[in-house]
Amino acid sequence: MTVPPDHPDRHKTVWGVKILGWLCILLGAVLLAGGVWLIVLGGSWYYGLSGLGLFLTGLLLNRYRTEAVGLYLLVWIGTVGWAWWEVGNDWWAQVPRLVAPSIILVLVLLCTPALSRHASKRLAGSS
Amino acid sequence: MIRLFTIPLIVTLATAVPALSQQADTAEPEADRAETAATENTPSQAETSDNLSQRAAQSQREVGADWPFWGGDAQATRYSPLDQIQPQNVGQLEKVFTFHTGDMPEGSAEGKYSPEVTPLKIGSDLIMCSAMNILISVDAATGEENWRFDPGVSNDAIPYGATCRGVSVYTDPEAPEDAPCATRVIEGTLDARLVAVDLATGSPCADFGDNGSVDLWQGIGERVPGWYAVTAPAAIVRGIVVTGAQVKDGQAEDAPSGVIRGYDAVTGELAWAWDLAAPEQNRNGPAEGEVYTRGTPNMWTTAVADEALGYVYLPMGNSSVDYYGSNRTEAENEYATSLVALDATTGEEVWHFQTVRHDVWDYDLGSQATLLDYQGTPAVLLPSKQGDIYILNRETGAPLTPVGELSDLPKGEIEPDFISDTQPFSEWHTLRKPPLEEKDMWGFTPIDQLWCRIQFRMANYDGFFTPPSSDKPWIQYPGYNGGSDWGSVAVDTERGIIVANYNDVPNYNRLVPRDEVTSKPINEQEAASDGGAKAEGAADPQAGAPYGINVNAGWRNDVTGVPCTRPPYGGIRAIDLATGETLWDRPLGTARRNGPFGIPSMLPFDIGTPNNGGSVVTAGGLVFIAAATDNLFRAIDIETGETLWSTVLPAGGQANPITYEVDGRQYVMVTAMGHHFMETPVGDEVIAWALPQQ
Repeated sequence: MTVPPDHPDRHKTVWGVKILGWLCILLGAVLLAGGVWLIVLGGSWYYGLSGLGLFLTGLLLNRYRTEAVGLYLLVWIGTVGWAWWEVGNDWWAQVPRLVAPSIILVLVLLCTPALSRHASKRLAGSS
Repeated sequence: MIRLFTIPLIVTLATAVPALSQQADTAEPEADRAETAATENTPSQAETSDNLSQRAAQSQREVGADWPFWGGDAQATRYSPLDQIQPQNVGQLEKVFTFHTGDMPEGSAEGKYSPEVTPLKIGSDLIMCSAMNILISVDAATGEENWRFDPGVSNDAIPYGATCRGVSVYTDPEAPEDAPCATRVIEGTLDARLVAVDLATGSPCADFGDNGSVDLWQGIGERVPGWYAVTAPAAIVRGIVVTGAQVKDGQAEDAPSGVIRGYDAVTGELAWAWDLAAPEQNRNGPAEGEVYTRGTPNMWTTAVADEALGYVYLPMGNSSVDYYGSNRTEAENEYATSLVALDATTGEEVWHFQTVRHDVWDYDLGSQATLLDYQGTPAVLLPSKQGDIYILNRETGAPLTPVGELSDLPKGEIEPDFISDTQPFSEWHTLRKPPLEEKDMWGFTPIDQLWCRIQFRMANYDGFFTPPSSDKPWIQYPGYNGGSDWGSVAVDTERGIIVANYNDVPNYNRLVPRDEVTSKPINEQEAASDGGAKAEGAADPQAGAPYGINVNAGWRNDVTGVPCTRPPYGGIRAIDLATGETLWDRPLGTARRNGPFGIPSMLPFDIGTPNNGGSVVTAGGLVFIAAATDNLFRAIDIETGETLWSTVLPAGGQANPITYEVDGRQYVMVTAMGHHFMETPVGDEVIAWALPQQ
């Protein structure tokens, strides 16, 4: 049985991925630039690295690559580890470290179905 | 999908952030000592005093049903023996009355209100002053107004903020009880007058100065409104009204003198002056055409007096130019940021104890000292803005608790010869937290935290006492509002517990080279052109010094207003008076009113906000305190630190509460009037609570 094309829904989902992709690129670039500055000043390497990770996640999202999910998952796990190492269970101190990255993680995960559809289509197209 | 993108914003907005920005002697031994001292002193004073009785120790009003002194009792313990309200029943407190003073900012006073007032309760009345010094008497049981007296202070007299913390009361032992002004209310005003009115009627005391008013501008020099203002209640000892004044910070080397003066409480005549740079010459006032030594350290906060000894304890600030010191005199260096004990009968210094050497951090002593008995010795407890708590011998100033010495401190490049490479600190107890690290930076997203980390790395910071710098900003931690400020500490003399609320906030500062300074000192400004809208020290000219100063109070992010350092920004702590050990310590203030971009987060979590205003502790086992920027007034269990009751105030509660009794019913009362620097809403409410009547 062929799946009836669901244009409106797919259209919306695609835009969501695009926008998230660009958002990640933008935020990633800001974190990367500031992070490099901080590294030069002798500070933490976390921001540069996570900025790079976020930036690449954005690029992958823009190309509908499922690798985006895995990469960001890595960034997020790294973030949690680093945040715990820095401030442990001081939850107020965790707010700027964990809240925004976790929201981005949720959004990236929400993109997974769309990315998978794209991947299977691409696979189907290439076969 | 797109709607999901608004979630980070909502969540981050909801992310709470702060807006900012024993007395062991019972009354009886005290009275005994007072009498002894009186008999000892009478003969020697007879020669120097024209009014003998004014120089003898008098018995002091007691705290309990009344709250006769700004600090509660004459020892400023802020401890009340009342015990009707207890941990078990505090939850039943109900509002008894709200009184409106009617004094709200108008015209140029907008954005400059910081009333901070704590009423006195004498007999059946509450006596208070409003932000602009209107004296008001209110029925302590009903909140109905008895009388008011408006000394007519104009808006241009407002220095940094319109503040009147309270008034003092004096009973003339010579006067018949029903004579007018036998008991008088004395207030220092923003336009630098001492005003005396009758306690019962509010009528000016004709015998005091010029029809109830003494001009404190005598001998100060050029009269510039706002430059020299009284914001704290006077200490009255041996019939002498002792007052300093706030000299507006950061204006000029050539600022009004910080002279401390004593006036006869009955006649208003100058009894003595203590000009720390010319104590002998100016004891009876400067010669004709001369003024008290200009630019000397001043006392803007509240003194405490030992009536028996006849001593008054002055918490001194530093010179008007706070952040540069090379052109200060030896005398200024000697007394700045020191507790000074004066003999109030003569105006002569007895001893002084310095908490910061060559202070270039605006670490004025802000707290009123507390008199207590420490291990059998009459002592004075001194809290400082760095958070250190010292206990000193009341008669000699010798420390009774260990004082350590920080050495090899950084000297900086601006004035390395002036910066002291050692500083004292209390080894007994400090409220100060460890130095900041990069990981202490905050924000509400990784991006603003990153920006704060960059700022951290770009600034000069070598821990406590990092000297000022100009090529780069420097981090001052604790900031000038840190540790104990004018709210002072409360001491439960029965349980032997000190209750100290404190701020834990850094400042991010930079000395501004003279040719980049754009602001003018107050005496060169158009009238009232400069406001209290900006934080103290933000772009102060420091005329006469090579640098102006720019203070980012609370080190807040320019865009979001969110602090650069992690919470808590303030706390409250109980300290064992016997050992100096912490009994409990907790953040003070919830996140309900605070959030990025000034948007209230409504979060009920104890984030620990900056707080100004002290506490009262009761025999019932409760600590009552407002102070925090969340506008909550709360009752805390003194044994555990747990909040047992709280209520939302209609405005900021940056004032010390009181407790008192009328007809067998215990009341607690605080004024909710807001504070511009604390960014709490302005109000004019005086609110009292009590348990429901049976």
